[in-house]
This record gives sequence, C-alpha cells and structure tokens, in this order.
Amino acid sequence: MSRSVFVTGLLFLAAGLGLFAAKVGVYEVPLVPTDTPGPWQVELRIHVRGDGKRGSVRALLPAGSQQQLVFDERSSSDRLNFSIREHGGNRVGVWTGWLEDIHEVVYQFRIQTGALEVEIPEQAEPSPPTRAIRKRYTQPTSELPSTAADVKVVLEELDLPAPEDLLARVRKVFAFVVHEIDEVNGAGSDALLTLARREGSVEGKERLLITLLRGAGVPARVVRGLELRDGAVPEPRIWAEVNLYGAWVPLSAVQDFFARRPAGFVEMGRGEQPLVEATGVRAVGHRYLALREPLRPDEIASLLAPDNPILARLSLYRLPVDTQAALRVLLLLPLGALTVALFRNVIGIPTYGTFMPVLIALSLREFSLPLGLVLVGVVTLLAVLARIGLERLRLLMVPRLSILLCVVVLFVTSLALLAEGSVLPDFFAGVVFPIVILTMLVERIYITAAEEGLQEALARGLWSVSVAAVVHPLLRNPNASYLMFSFPELVVAIIGLLVWIGGYTGYRLADLVRFRALATPPVGGSPD
Amino acid sequence: MLSGLRRRGVLGINRRNARYTLAVNDRARFPLVDDKLETKRLCIEAEIPVPRLLAEARLHVEARGLPGALRNVESFVLKPARGAMGNGILVIRGDGKGGFIRGDRPLPVEDLVYHASGIISGLYSLAGHQDIALVEECLQTHLLLVPLSAGGVPDVRVIVYRGIPVMAMTRLPTERSGGRANLHQGAIGAGIDLASGRTLFAVNKTRPIVRHPDSDQSLIDVPIPEFERVLEIAVRATDCTGLGYIGADMVVDAVRGPVILELNARPGLAIQLANRAGLRPRLDAVDRALGAPDSDWQRALSVAERVAMGQAFSSRSSA
Repeated sequence: MSRSVFVTGLLFLAAGLGLFAAKVGVYEVPLVPTDTPGPWQVELRIHVRGDGKRGSVRALLPAGSQQQLVFDERSSSDRLNFSIREHGGNRVGVWTGWLEDIHEVVYQFRIQTGALEVEIPEQAEPSPPTRAIRKRYTQPTSELPSTAADVKVVLEELDLPAPEDLLARVRKVFAFVVHEIDEVNGAGSDALLTLARREGSVEGKERLLITLLRGAGVPARVVRGLELRDGAVPEPRIWAEVNLYGAWVPLSAVQDFFARRPAGFVEMGRGEQPLVEATGVRAVGHRYLALREPLRPDEIASLLAPDNPILARLSLYRLPVDTQAALRVLLLLPLGALTVALFRNVIGIPTYGTFMPVLIALSLREFSLPLGLVLVGVVTLLAVLARIGLERLRLLMVPRLSILLCVVVLFVTSLALLAEGSVLPDFFAGVVFPIVILTMLVERIYITAAEEGLQEALARGLWSVSVAAVVHPLLRNPNASYLMFSFPELVVAIIGLLVWIGGYTGYRLADLVRFRALATPPVGGSPD
Repeated sequence: MLSGLRRRGVLGINRRNARYTLAVNDRARFPLVDDKLETKRLCIEAEIPVPRLLAEARLHVEARGLPGALRNVESFVLKPARGAMGNGILVIRGDGKGGFIRGDRPLPVEDLVYHASGIISGLYSLAGHQDIALVEECLQTHLLLVPLSAGGVPDVRVIVYRGIPVMAMTRLPTERSGGRANLHQGAIGAGIDLASGRTLFAVNKTRPIVRHPDSDQSLIDVPIPEFERVLEIAVRATDCTGLGYIGADMVVDAVRGPVILELNARPGLAIQLANRAGLRPRLDAVDRALGAPDSDWQRALSVAERVAMGQAFSSRSSA
C-alpha cells in the first residue's frame, strides 16, 4: 500500500469515526437500539384538489392518554391555515383556506403504544357519573338505531341475563356478533342491513355490535384508529368500547379482542367522525405511513434535536417517513459493497457480476435466506432452461435478452400467484424484485456453462450464493440498520476502508491456492 | 506458503492490477489492443506480420454475406474483434462443396451467420458493446510443434514490460481443451527459457506435467522455432501500442514464421506456474535497469538490445 493511499484512507476513516465517536461520547446517542419496543413514527399525507373556492380538510389527531404517549407532532400546511380543535371529545386537525389545484398537507407524530389489558371493575352501584354516561351512550342515533324493531327481536331471541349483570350481557351479544355475522369485504356498513343479511363490512359488524349493546342497555361507543404493523402500511380500524361499572373496555367483533387492545392499535378518535374528511374540495385522498423506531422516546429526542445545531441539521430522523424507510435500506448498501470488496480483492472469489450478489441479497431482505434462495433458484433454473430452448431459434442478442426478461417476469408472476394464500403472504409486496439482474444472471450462467463448462458455471454460482449468504444477514440485522441510519458518517469510514482495500497489493487468498505449487521449492530442483 | 510465494516473487492479481496494468498502461491506449482490428492496423503499419484478414462484418446484414464470401476458402477463423480469453472463436474448414465443417461436424450455414451475429451484438465483447466479426486466415502449426498440439494451433505468449520481454510460455492445445490454446480450458502451458528458446517446465491447470496427454511426447526441453524472432516481434508490437505491460500472443506459422495474433493489456498470471518462477524479480530488474518510468524508454535502446536484456534478466532470476 502506498503512503498516499494509506494516508487518504486514514483521513476518511478518521473523519467518519471521529464524528461517530463525538456523537456517541459527547451527545450520548445510543450505540445499539434499545430492547423495549420503541415508538412509532406515523405520517398522514393528505392530497386535496380544489377549484379556487374556500374549503377545509379535517383529520382526527391522536390524543395522549395513559395508553398512548404522543410526541414530536409536526405538520406542513401547504398554503393553508392549520389549527387543532376540540370536536365531540376528539382532537381534530383543521386545514382551511382557498383551495387551488392540489395541496399536500402532512401531519407527523411519534407515538409510544403497547398492548392494553383492561381490568373489569367489580360490579358496583351506578354512581352519578356512570349514570350520565349510561344515558348518553345507550341512546339510539341514525348510525346506531338501537331501538329498531329488528334489534329488539334479536335481543329477545338472545335471552339476555339480568340487566344488572352487564358483563354477562356484553359477552352474550359479543358472542352472537362474532359467530353469527359474516364479514364480507365491500358489503354494507349499515347496522340494520348487516343484521338482516347476517353479513356486513368490518364497519357494519362493529356498528351492529354497538347497536345491539346499546339496545341491551350497555353504554357503548365507536372508536376509530389505526393498526400499526411492522413492514406494512397502517390499517384504518374501527372497534367498540363498552362502559362496565365506570371503566371503558375495548372490544372488537372483527379483530376478536375483548377487554384488551392488541399492541400496535392507536386510538385516533371516537364517534362517527371519519379519520379524514374535507369540504369545498373536488377530490381528497390520504394515506398513512408508519415506521417503528428501535429507541426510547428520550433517545429519539436527543437524536432529533441534539444540542449541536449542525448535528441537529444532519439528523435523518427529521425526514419524512417514506424517505426514512428508503434511506434505512440505502445506507446498508455500503456495508454490502464493503463485503463484496473484501471477497473479491482480499479473498479473490469469482462471482456473477460485481454487485449482483448484494442486490439479490437486498431484494431477499424480507425473506429468510433459505426460502429466498430457493425462490431465486427456482426462477433462475426455469429461466436457464428457457434460455436453452431459446438457443435453437438463433435470435439476435437484444430481443433474446428481452424475451428472457419477459420469461423471468412471467415466472415471478406465477410464483406470486402460487404463493397467494400460502406461507408467503407478502411475497412480492413492496419488494423491487431485481428482474433485470436476474435476467442478466440467467444469460451469464448460460454463456459460462456453454463456454467454460457446467462445472465452472456452477462453481461461480455457488460463490455468488455464498457472498449473498454473507451479506443477507447483514442487510436484515436491525442493529446494523440502526447503526448506519443513526450514524450515516460511517459511510465515510467505509470509504476509508475501501481506499485501503483498493490499495492492497498483497496476495489474494485465491492467489495462494492457485500458486501453491510455487510456494515450495521443486523436488530436486535448484535453489531459488 | 505466503513467505514461499514472496521468496519466489510471485505476482498476485492485486499487485498486477495496481502496479502494472493500471500504473504503466495508459487507459486511453487500451482500445489499441482491445480491438483486434485496430491492433492489426498498427502492426501492418509497422510491418509486423499478422494473420490475413479475409472478411469482416460490422452489421447483421453483412453477417449474412459471410458464407457466400467464404465458400471457396480452405479454412478460416471467425472471431470477435473485442473478445476476451478466447471466447467466441470458431475454427472452420470448407468442405470443398461450398459447405463448412467445424471440428469433425458439418456447420450449417445459418449457424455460421448466427455466430457472426452474436459477435456483432456484443455477446463476446469485453463490455457487451457492439462488435465486429472478423474472419482471418487459419494459421498452420509449425512442423516442430505438431506432435505437441492436438486439434489446434499452439501459440506463444510473451510478457513485455516497458519494452523488455520478461517471460514467455507456449500454450499447447489438448483434446480436453477442444483444440483451444486457453489454459483455463485445459490447454497445457509450457514455460520457455528466454535465452535458449527451449521449454523448461509444463503445467496442465495447476498440475505439473512432463508428457503431452494426447501424444505422449515430452514437453520439456522442446525448442520453439524462430524464438529470437518471436521475442523481437513481441517487442516491436508492444512499441507500437505505447503500453508498458503487455502480453503478446503469437503463432509460429509453418510458412510465414511468427505472426502477432493479439495483444493483451491485462495478461493472466498463470505464466508464472508454467515457468515455475515469479514475475516480480524480472519486473524489478527491468525497473532497476531503466530507472524511473518515463515515456521515452523504448527509443533509448534497440530492439535487439532489449531482447538481450530480457534474456539476461530471466536467466539471472531463475538461476
């Protein structure tokens, strides 16, 4: 290694590690993610299209409670006025103004939430407040027609226990809705229709549950919220709450929970107000995104707003959720590239394409390695067979490669069809499957097999697989992901290491194997 | 093992790339050797013998014209202008009736066109770019080497560093290599003593070997015909390119003597196994003799002087 290479590498390494050490030492950014399930970062993005009139957009915002800690709320209003109002016991974000063309409003928050178990209090004499609650939440409304004739008929058929035993009544009604009402996508959300047809949408089923409970004299209300899931977009949810002897108890006939709320459920509001609505607009659309953070809220706070203003500006935790998700993957790539450089230039093993193993490993990030490799292996094998058949037609290269690409797309599509409803639920969802890379891989395997023999083609394939196998756990490792995302300066340090590897002119491990005959003096030969 | 390799001065891939192919070979000059047509033009200008060009096809329509143009040719080689490692090369004979034979099987006319089209599409070219299909005359194995070559023409490779030949080997086709002179396909590599022009040692893949597996002829101490001229041509061809680290591939033709097949700016390292010697002592000796690299090294000494220098360095380092 030359002096200039050594010094250049050292400079990069020192710069990267120096900033890293300062953040760890001085600003006490944690080095590894915290064990406890961290808070979620949730983002609501609303697009409204107006035609020059005044209008407004309203969205339910989460309220802090004992069950959920809400912090770091931010919004961008895109030329509209933003205010937070109290409406029907809910926190509502309101954006108002003249709506011209398309406005994009964003509302972000972080929320710490966990599974919730509710202890049902002992049966007690109704106190004045519970009497008020009882009055308010047993009344019929247009959405919850608890005094309708059909409701009464069903309640009579159910032969409910005595009115004092609220819990037993709730259980009976709950069991009826869970077992007797089918859940059908796209069916109506009207409580009475759901009851008459014995089937309804998710919303219809929960509404029916609440209607029946109110009819049975149990205070019940609608709760709206989100279910946050790892690696998927948040799902809007609706569930019910009943008031038992003064305590609100969550339950859901669709999600099938009772007196508890699973982890990941976030309460956004109560009552009939939808998550997002707008008036005076031509069209409105919205989507939620969520990302789990492996840190405690106080640690996030130190990453979000470190004392040092420069560090504060450099914090990636301020970026929009989808950008963050993309960067978390992107920042792992340098680690993969470093591994490839080690394998190629220090060990000296041949692979198909320089970064192909890394890109394959990256695309298999969502799967376990054996499963992922089997999937890629099956597609590749089938496509190589197709390539052998294609050879007979004597087609020119570019159309031939394009056909191969189509074949690979078809195989991947059929795999997705086969996988539907089996053990591979989210098979290709959100995965940019490296179709083009697979196509080039197939062509390379074919050419290598034809020109250098099947043995060489297989050997190179095995080496490629082993590189992918080494990189894959790295790309899946939450600690590695956390480290690279929280300390992007480590990429600079990796550049330093790569400069050193690039300047390494010593033997590769493969050289030692290849020239081993020259390492020992020839038998009976002359001394060197 | 590490110290053993160091003692012998074995050159590894990293060092070859960093210190030699990247350091002394100007990238702008790579096209001169990566494109065989360009190399051929350079050599003809410098009056260095090369195989005669019988036809070339730059377009797919031209590929269709090849069978007609070649129907009366006794034998020829179809190759990509920018190929690497001997990939995509076909040796073809005419059957005297307008048809073609490859090996001992007839080669359908459409197969010939298809192969030429593949070459033009860039299937065998270094970076997959558009390429040119070349048709060259088929060279004849020198009588002295016939017993050592099965079904193909042996070639001679000379490594030339800063204008001085430092190591040489002959690559002898075997039945296993399918008549091809490529070591990784199973051809035999035999190191050549630069001073005497006789083979020193031979390997098949990494295994030492003393007799040709097909003919049972001895592979050791075989004289390479016209070897002095081989070295001279290698040095002159390298001078044309201005590149500092070159593997010159030549064939000693039965009639025309040594001709340049191609030049390689990234020659492989297996030549060290065939010579049972590392390249580094010889490369270092060249650097010591010529001093710091500058651009005028090739003008200072005559070709004959430089051949003599290379011979002296090689005997000193392997003695």
